[in-house]
Amino acid sequence: MSEPPVIEFHGVTKTYGEVTAVEDLTFAVRPGRIVGLLGRNGAGKSTALRVLLGLVRPTTGHASLFGHAYQDLPDAPRRIGVSMDTIGPTPGTTGRRDLRIWARSLGLPARRVDDVLDQVGLTDSADRRVKGYSTGMRQRLALATALLPDPELLVLDEPVNGLDPDGIRWLRALLRTLAAEGRTVLLSSHLLAEVEQTVDDVVILQRTLRYSGALASLTTDGADRLEDRFFELAGASASGGTRD
Amino acid sequence: MTDALRGEWLKARSGRAWIVLLVSGVYMSVMTSFGYGSEGDKALDQGSADLAAVTDDVVRAWMMTFLFAALYGAVVVTREYGSGSISRSVLVTGRARLFGAKLAVGALMGALSGAVAVVCSVLSAWGVLAVYGRDFAWTQETTLIAAGVFVCNVLAAPWGVFLGWIIRHQIASVVTVMGLTLLVDPGLQQLAPKASGYLFTIAMSSVYRDVGHTLLSPQAALLVIAGWLAAAGFAAYRLLRVRDLT
Repeated sequence: MSEPPVIEFHGVTKTYGEVTAVEDLTFAVRPGRIVGLLGRNGAGKSTALRVLLGLVRPTTGHASLFGHAYQDLPDAPRRIGVSMDTIGPTPGTTGRRDLRIWARSLGLPARRVDDVLDQVGLTDSADRRVKGYSTGMRQRLALATALLPDPELLVLDEPVNGLDPDGIRWLRALLRTLAAEGRTVLLSSHLLAEVEQTVDDVVILQRTLRYSGALASLTTDGADRLEDRFFELAGASASGGTRD
Repeated sequence: MTDALRGEWLKARSGRAWIVLLVSGVYMSVMTSFGYGSEGDKALDQGSADLAAVTDDVVRAWMMTFLFAALYGAVVVTREYGSGSISRSVLVTGRARLFGAKLAVGALMGALSGAVAVVCSVLSAWGVLAVYGRDFAWTQETTLIAAGVFVCNVLAAPWGVFLGWIIRHQIASVVTVMGLTLLVDPGLQQLAPKASGYLFTIAMSSVYRDVGHTLLSPQAALLVIAGWLAAAGFAAYRLLRVRDLT
């Protein structure tokens, strides 16, 4: 018997006034998999993740993590690590202080801060003000914050944005290591070539769900390019909502 | 809740907002207390005031710090909306505990501001009047004024926190706090002196025992302030629970 899904979306629709960001979204994420949530800018990827995390209320439907809504899941902040493009660091902090704030809020020992700083390669810049960080360094700090509680599940919104080639390779290896340890990763991206090298499963979203399943099935075990299949399924031009 | 408080306390002391606002409050109050000292010196020469009344005025000038305590309360919430870190705060702490932790930390910072104001008010009573070659006369009324200044600081910070939760935008919340304190409430006080006693910042005047206006008794004013805080707190919590974090 297969293990229960880690993430489930059941008929999730979210509208903002006249605009429908996501419509009737239903899919599941199995444990220990790296899953790419793919779509154009404005396809509804970030909205879907915000609904999943309870930051945004769905208009209809519901989403769950480990069988519960985020706010009802026991110990959710320690089980789920989150990095989102729109979640910045605490204003006026250094990288280390920002992580210390979240470590304290999570009730974690201070040494976890040093551990994750080392893990993401920010130890040398830890005592610099975040305001002076490059985009790539901010991305690494966001990943460090997500990794802080040593979570079972990582939800990453556009984690590759701003990373240099070394950073992208590092992230790919990190995600593979985490999946090998039995953790689950859901990452959103619009960088198809990068995702093709990283994920096991793919969810294609263009306001509505266009595909959910194994990458190998979608690309006929690599015979087809993900990019070609994406455009077949998502359509040649943007037709979804304007909110992401 | 302890973890949430520890995290929020560290957050509250991060950045320069708290020190800038504290120093600004002290600076404005020093300027005002010197103004009262100068006017008081003339009044004493003319025999139209006594030393105790002038000392009271100099100490009362420190009520200005409560504006900056309210501003700090608003900023400590809204700056997180500006950076987007509010989403992480909600994810890590949860809406209800985050609301409670920010309220508690805001009140604590208000108490810190109040303590600084009281200490400085005592120093200014001595220092300002010494500049004019006079001693100061600390009476029971002066003690009540200093206590009122402290209480106003403690109450103003949660007021700012609640407005921050409701408005969710740093500049708009700062403009609202300053506008209410410096323009709207004093303006209404000119138009309707009796009714204005029920406004939040005018009720504060009763607590720091302002003179020259029609004011509620301090006890009634504290009830009015509690009513405003309860209403603002209810609205803030309700909105935090139902509004999306986009």
